Amino acid sequence: MPRIEQAPSQDGNNPQLRNLRPSPRYSALSLLRARFASGPYWRALWTGRALQPAYDVVIVGAGGHGLATAFHLARDHRVGSVAVLEKSLLGYGNVGRNTTIVRSNYLLPENHYFYEDSLRRWERLSKDLNYNVMYSPRGVVDLALSEDELPGLSRRGNAMRLAGIDAELLDVSGLERFCPELAPRRQRRFNIIGALLQRRGGTVRHDAVAWGYARAASALGVHIIEDCEVASVRVEAGFAKGVETSRGYVKAERIAFATAGHTAAIGTMLGIPMPIETHLLQAMVTEPVKPLLNTVVVYVSPGHGEAYISQSDRGGLVMGGHLDGFPSYTREGRWDRLEDVASGAVEVLPQIAGLRVLRQWAGTNDMTMDGSPIIDRLKYDNVFVNAGWCYGGFKAIPASGAAFAQFLATGTAPDLIRGYRLSRFNTGHMLDEPGHGPFPVRL
Amino acid sequence: MTQLVCPFCGPRELHEFEFRKTAASAGGTPVERVYLRVDHPDLSIEHWHHVRGCRAWLVIERNPSTDAICRVRLLGGDAE
Amino acid sequence: MNSTTSRRGLRLGEGTFSFNFDGRRYQAREGDTAASALLANGVRLMGRSIKARRRRGVLTAGPEEPNALLTVGDSFNCIPNVAAPQLVLRAGLLLRSQNRWPSLKFDVASVLQAGGGILGAGFYYKTFMWPSWHTYEPLIRRLAGLGSAPAACTLPQASIENFSCDVLIGGGGVAGLTAARAATRAGARVVVCEREPCLGGEIEFEDARIEGTGALAWLRELAVELNSRGARLLFETTVVGGRGGEVIAHAEPGGLAGANTLYRIRPRVFVVAMGATERPLTFVDNDLPGVMLLSAAERYGVRYGVRIAKRTVIFANHNRAYAAATRLAAAGMQICAIVDTRPESAITEARVAALREQLVRSGIECLYEQTVIAARGRAGVTAAEVGSITGTGHVRVIECDTILMSGGWTPVTHAGQQEGGTRRYVPDIAAFVADRQPDARMTVGAANGVFELSAICHEAQAIGERAARLAGQACSPVPPPKAQGDPAPELRPFWRSPAPRAAEKRQFVDFQNDVTVADLRSAVEEGFYEIEHAKRYTALGFGTDQGRLSGVLGAAIIAELRGEPLDRVGTSRLRQPFHPVTLKSLAGLRTGAALRVTRRTPLHKWHLAQGGVMGPTGLWMRPMHYGKAGADVARISALEATAVRTTGGISDASTLGKIEIAGPDAAAFLDYLYMTPASSLKVGRSRYAVNLREDGMVLDDGLLLRMGSDRFRATTSTGHAEEMLAHFEYYRALEFGTAQVVISDVTDAWAVIVVAGPKSREALLPILEDPSRPPVAALQHMDFTMARFAGAELLVLRASFSGELACELHCPPDSAASLADALVGAGMKPYGLEALDILRVEKGYLTHAELSGQTTPYDLGMEGFLKRKDRFVGSDLLDRPAFHEESRPRLVGVRAANGHAAFLAGAQLVGREDRNHPCGYITSSALSPALGEYIGLALVARSIGEGAEIIARDPLRLGDTTVRIAPIVHFDPSGERMRR
Repeated sequence: MPRIEQAPSQDGNNPQLRNLRPSPRYSALSLLRARFASGPYWRALWTGRALQPAYDVVIVGAGGHGLATAFHLARDHRVGSVAVLEKSLLGYGNVGRNTTIVRSNYLLPENHYFYEDSLRRWERLSKDLNYNVMYSPRGVVDLALSEDELPGLSRRGNAMRLAGIDAELLDVSGLERFCPELAPRRQRRFNIIGALLQRRGGTVRHDAVAWGYARAASALGVHIIEDCEVASVRVEAGFAKGVETSRGYVKAERIAFATAGHTAAIGTMLGIPMPIETHLLQAMVTEPVKPLLNTVVVYVSPGHGEAYISQSDRGGLVMGGHLDGFPSYTREGRWDRLEDVASGAVEVLPQIAGLRVLRQWAGTNDMTMDGSPIIDRLKYDNVFVNAGWCYGGFKAIPASGAAFAQFLATGTAPDLIRGYRLSRFNTGHMLDEPGHGPFPVRL
Repeated sequence: MTQLVCPFCGPRELHEFEFRKTAASAGGTPVERVYLRVDHPDLSIEHWHHVRGCRAWLVIERNPSTDAICRVRLLGGDAE
Repeated sequence: MNSTTSRRGLRLGEGTFSFNFDGRRYQAREGDTAASALLANGVRLMGRSIKARRRRGVLTAGPEEPNALLTVGDSFNCIPNVAAPQLVLRAGLLLRSQNRWPSLKFDVASVLQAGGGILGAGFYYKTFMWPSWHTYEPLIRRLAGLGSAPAACTLPQASIENFSCDVLIGGGGVAGLTAARAATRAGARVVVCEREPCLGGEIEFEDARIEGTGALAWLRELAVELNSRGARLLFETTVVGGRGGEVIAHAEPGGLAGANTLYRIRPRVFVVAMGATERPLTFVDNDLPGVMLLSAAERYGVRYGVRIAKRTVIFANHNRAYAAATRLAAAGMQICAIVDTRPESAITEARVAALREQLVRSGIECLYEQTVIAARGRAGVTAAEVGSITGTGHVRVIECDTILMSGGWTPVTHAGQQEGGTRRYVPDIAAFVADRQPDARMTVGAANGVFELSAICHEAQAIGERAARLAGQACSPVPPPKAQGDPAPELRPFWRSPAPRAAEKRQFVDFQNDVTVADLRSAVEEGFYEIEHAKRYTALGFGTDQGRLSGVLGAAIIAELRGEPLDRVGTSRLRQPFHPVTLKSLAGLRTGAALRVTRRTPLHKWHLAQGGVMGPTGLWMRPMHYGKAGADVARISALEATAVRTTGGISDASTLGKIEIAGPDAAAFLDYLYMTPASSLKVGRSRYAVNLREDGMVLDDGLLLRMGSDRFRATTSTGHAEEMLAHFEYYRALEFGTAQVVISDVTDAWAVIVVAGPKSREALLPILEDPSRPPVAALQHMDFTMARFAGAELLVLRASFSGELACELHCPPDSAASLADALVGAGMKPYGLEALDILRVEKGYLTHAELSGQTTPYDLGMEGFLKRKDRFVGSDLLDRPAFHEESRPRLVGVRAANGHAAFLAGAQLVGREDRNHPCGYITSSALSPALGEYIGLALVARSIGEGAEIIARDPLRLGDTTVRIAPIVHFDPSGERMRR
């Protein structure tokens, strides 16, 4: 297996850039200043710029990945002109619809080094962006419900540890100490016998991520244009020249698609079928209550029995589960999947059964044929795609932005994302963590 | 979408069925046939199994942007 | 004023009882809600707001209540966040206010109010970064949230009911009931869902006359007629969501989570008649206890006989204010003034003008183009500051203890919107209504933006008939009932009183989330001016009412701040459930043991009788070992395994999948589905068979038996049984459509008992019927034959997973226990899964641990099976370059280098030079009693050869162990023991 180097971290402590920082800077002191200011004190986070006729890089999709990429292009690579084109609203896609979990507890080295790079960036992202993204390292607990799950969890945890990533295998006593609200000794349909714990995993406020990157990128001169849908790519002599948008034609040296959830449509646009099925994933939140769950619990029981639960800082319990199970772009979900998630959640934390669900929502996910992402060129030398995040794209945002930006700026994919090339399906280098093969909806 | 119409059983609740995969495009190399999928916002051609019913395998043509069902037939019934 | 015993109200019964609120006892009447009883007892302060901990009282008389949310019960067993207006009281109920410490009157955290402009929307994004968010998080979390969840939940299981009907009507007000009556008279099967405990909606308190009688009498007759015609009326039931032709409704009797029912309804037609929610108005300190919705005052009066004010100011922008004022005055409330934001000329209806004259004559001031600028008071309203809507000129102070406000109504249009359809903005009522809808959904009444009773009846009659026709009932149109209720509103939009910027942070828009005009202004200034952004940034509409109360109000204020029309701004999307639903109701019947079915083999009771300690494998329960639970499992399993190798034992293999494939094309079919061909298999023989997945990975393994030239039985692993059946059926349809192949699942048709060990043959033969003994005695390895045991037919297959002389006995489920007993009687002891695993690891046999879905046949050393030239599932993708790289794993055996150290499955393997980069991992391990040391199977890079010493690294459990690569078969490599 190829060695995976960790990407060097870019500090961005460049004196020339300091003048471009968004002003006013966010801090407790500035809150006080704003309180006593006579007029409006804060500025718009991403100023409404006019769409220019040409850019060095056009990024399609103002979700977490697109915005993070734009930020890194501007900050780390000093790319002259960057535009992020968004067909509807900034951050209204999957970055605003996920269950906010961040972690790097993956089995395969191509994945765990990448997600660990991301987790290390999460740890300092608020300071990097000067925006509180509310990273809460409260732990992620993967429950084991039978003895024969332990070798698999151990295999994953040991792989993590060898890669320098924190992982622990807890028995029932350890789990009781770490998460007493779980009451692991309680009799359940599937008794809890242990868990794989990553302490540094946890949650992040999702909206803050989109807004934080947008603000920082905008301050560095990135143009973020909403209500601007890309309809096609103009090609001349085998080279992509620009994009046709709902606001006119935009010339671009390089075009990058960061539209996970609609990547199949991009494939259609370029005439390339993708190894992607687009599936719907629901989530829901309960009414806010005082703190009751202090970690993230992941529970997978046989037969569509997935439920992952955490408590947001506002107090509602955020839950999700299995895909709806068939391709859908509707962003509405099937009711019986809510029932599956609820029954799993109540099994794990019976004390929450009387709490009430306030609302559900859904996102569309690029489900790839091995469950791992795709970051690669697409058909043309200057067209790039960042896609295939399945239901795990949120935690990847910081690493994806940095690596994709480096790819766009230098033309060479950094080692950290080499494994995510599209050709891996042809050559047999699939990154299939669960071993389910080319079937996103597991049989 | 809460029901599917099985050619043998008539309209049945969705949870009696399981989706396996969307169809691959015709032609192509063996690798492409296994991995590539035809995924249009307007038309999805899908292989479903009436697993908790008569166990027939179905090809269901749907609009995944509205969940409207255009056509249901037996898998292998027509030339694939 | 509001005596417990003398109050008269539509919902009150005769009895009285006491209840407890925040430690004090109060009296209530049967039928009282928590809100009505507390108001009657003079209690106004019922809660504290979520962020700034401001004093709050009850705002509404409905489920959209944002402020008065109470916890019912003690801390061990309670239900938090119960809306006081919906909670029907019972004797002895213990109620507690929420989100305050140490008490409601004196709350320490209310000092946060001094933070005023600092604690605006999204302030936490701008700070709390040093040293890290995690430093502040515990405190912030404790301040957030409304009530506390209980330590345990003792709610009864919810009931689930599925039914279908012709016409489902959401809402039992005049609109819904008129439509219901029309549809029932046309012969349709009608169901009405009404969220209150009784029918009527607004006409409870409106002075309405319908078809010549008073509204309430009309209601009673109608209910009788509907019942007699077989219509079904569901009370305390709210439509909460659904799509795809299904509507979900939830019943919460008594307004408290308890004996809930979740309905899954399939109507042919769905009529939305769920009314409209009254809107608040925005002025400074409009969240003080004593500021309430106008209709709430009427409802508390009519339903519960509670006069909620001594002196009140009415503040509105429509005609209904005058009708309401007339009624409230007649009920004894002193009305100081009616503050109307419209010009006097806005009132064109003569009836309203007459009402107004009457009010003025009785001494009530009617002020025009005026607004309530602010409410004064600390613990509750003491006065209203009233001034011009332009914000200039003289400001009057009117002393009062209540301000009743009404900014119009927001039609409840969300139900059914999940099915698609559009909305349009109606300027006359400053609200959005359903525009285009699917044919099978209709909206009527206030939900459709029609507020005038005669128009409602007209529309509802037509809708009811149309619904019946759509549902297949013929009916001819009938004149609608004549009705007169409150006058048409003649509303002029008005959203917020003028205020200096500094005061905007006390003008509340969304009460539950403490969202103020200042917050909306910040949102717009910081670029969050699209409604979906503003909602997320400020939390507008995130509360338990999902924005029904304040959504349009917030959108309208944002529109004003943006200088754009409201219909350009729009409102944010409502999501189901439209009314909160308990997790328990969603979990339905699938709680506790019923979460998933438990699968048991025919020998389950037998195992228990033998002392089997059962454990889960997926949904199955299987015996792990036999003995006492908690005893030394390792020792017991070792003894069981040893017994198999010395004398013999029996185990239960019934969970393996069994599929029969028959027909002239069965062999060709199986040749395609398996990597190991079937057509060359002779009748009466079996062979080890492997399936590949489409991508070339090994999917499953098992045995293939040829029962006849046209008949095979295939066994699969337990974990893949369903998947393999589906896989076979898929390819049968996809590629063998014209072939003659029949597939039958016989997994549950046969119990399977394995009898294994040196003495297994001796034990088996005598218990079979005489004629069966010679053929069974003559069986060669991998042969099978039919036999008889105690009158039942058996298939006896000589195959082994333990490496000992063994037979698999496929017997009818009913005979399994007696067959097992007979074998135990012959000296074969039962052995469980742990022992089975020891035996198979000793022999290098594979399970899902090695068949992980990530291994190719090359990885597992199965090249020998790949000599075929023809295609089969997976063959096309087998020769991709990656599968032949040196780094690709290979199945090997492992032993401890020192001959005794322990290692476990899941340990990673590394070379000595590069301790942090794994070259493989241990897939299976066992402490082998036969060899006296730990043995294992592993997948290791091909570049590492047999005999090499590498390190097993297991930081999670055992640490590092040096191991050596060994042959896969640890015990009896020649396999001669099973060929005896």
